[in-house]
Amino acid sequence: MRRIGIISVQVAIIHIFLFLAIGLKALLPLPLPTSIVGLLLLFFALFFNLIKLEWVEQGGRWLMAELLLFFIPSAVGIVNYDELAGVQGLVIVLVIAISTIIVVGITGLIVDRFEVKQQ
Amino acid sequence: MTILLVTLLTCGLYVLTKKLAKRYPILLFHPLIFTPALIIITISLMGISPQTFDQGAVVLTHMLGPATIAFAIPVYKHVEVLRKYVVLILLGVISGSVVAILSTFLLGLLFGLDYHLLISLLPRSITTPLAMEVSEEIGGIPALTIVFVIITGILGALIGPMVFKVLKIKSPMAKGLALGMGAHAVGTNRTLEYGEEATTFSTLAMIFAGIITILLGLSVLPLLVNLL
Repeated sequence: MRRIGIISVQVAIIHIFLFLAIGLKALLPLPLPTSIVGLLLLFFALFFNLIKLEWVEQGGRWLMAELLLFFIPSAVGIVNYDELAGVQGLVIVLVIAISTIIVVGITGLIVDRFEVKQQ
Repeated sequence: MTILLVTLLTCGLYVLTKKLAKRYPILLFHPLIFTPALIIITISLMGISPQTFDQGAVVLTHMLGPATIAFAIPVYKHVEVLRKYVVLILLGVISGSVVAILSTFLLGLLFGLDYHLLISLLPRSITTPLAMEVSEEIGGIPALTIVFVIITGILGALIGPMVFKVLKIKSPMAKGLALGMGAHAVGTNRTLEYGEEATTFSTLAMIFAGIITILLGLSVLPLLVNLL
């Protein structure tokens, strides 16, 4: 019960950064999405010791651990698109699979080889 | 009322799916496959339309924002790593982002995908809120992009470890960066099993991939779209 309380309070604190980001975006024409602005604000608040890590750490860990939960409604949204049924849908999955193999492979190889060189 | 019902239903089925997945770790019980399937079945049995469900899901979907912001915490905790490897991280992520967009574009053309599907597919490798923004910018359908982002995440987290095995990629840093680049937050979630170093690099890769793809979305992507 105590843990749920701590997490709720900390998630609320993280929300402050969301609201700050919304406010900042309203004031300045930033080319970055609100969530990334909020991420940067939270990072700098931590970095310059404006807030303590312990104030957000548990809430943040919970948000990240349950991230997949927040994607579920969007995944349900798939039923709204008839084009995704049938062949076209399979082709898309195939395109994504092949492209992802290439991306993961190339990125992994580049980093792996350069890391060896640096050491 | 709808919000409460949808939230409780989704959370309940999510917890159930996680329990099942723990006991039977097979792809079918992935929270982004099994839970949505259960929800689709349940709401059609209860006579709730997908639109009503969607309206009720605002609280859950809203949490994607704070969840993205929370990734500042691991970055902060590993700021020394970021400082030390910033060049390598940028090198990996810039190459990864360009390869992701180009390979998707070319494969989509090759397989003759419809215009709107292809455009909506281009920003698929970055995290949802950012992908939606890029999609909108280049004239795609953000709701479709979300679906592609999720498919990318599931496939990447699944295929990634196999790719590492085949290419003999062993370093946690390379694995983390590649998964964060290729499969955004779902890939980052997967790196939890490779240790904190991998998760750190994955988080950094995910964030930088998002930012770089947005920059490409404002500059190079419209040119690609114009080629169509």
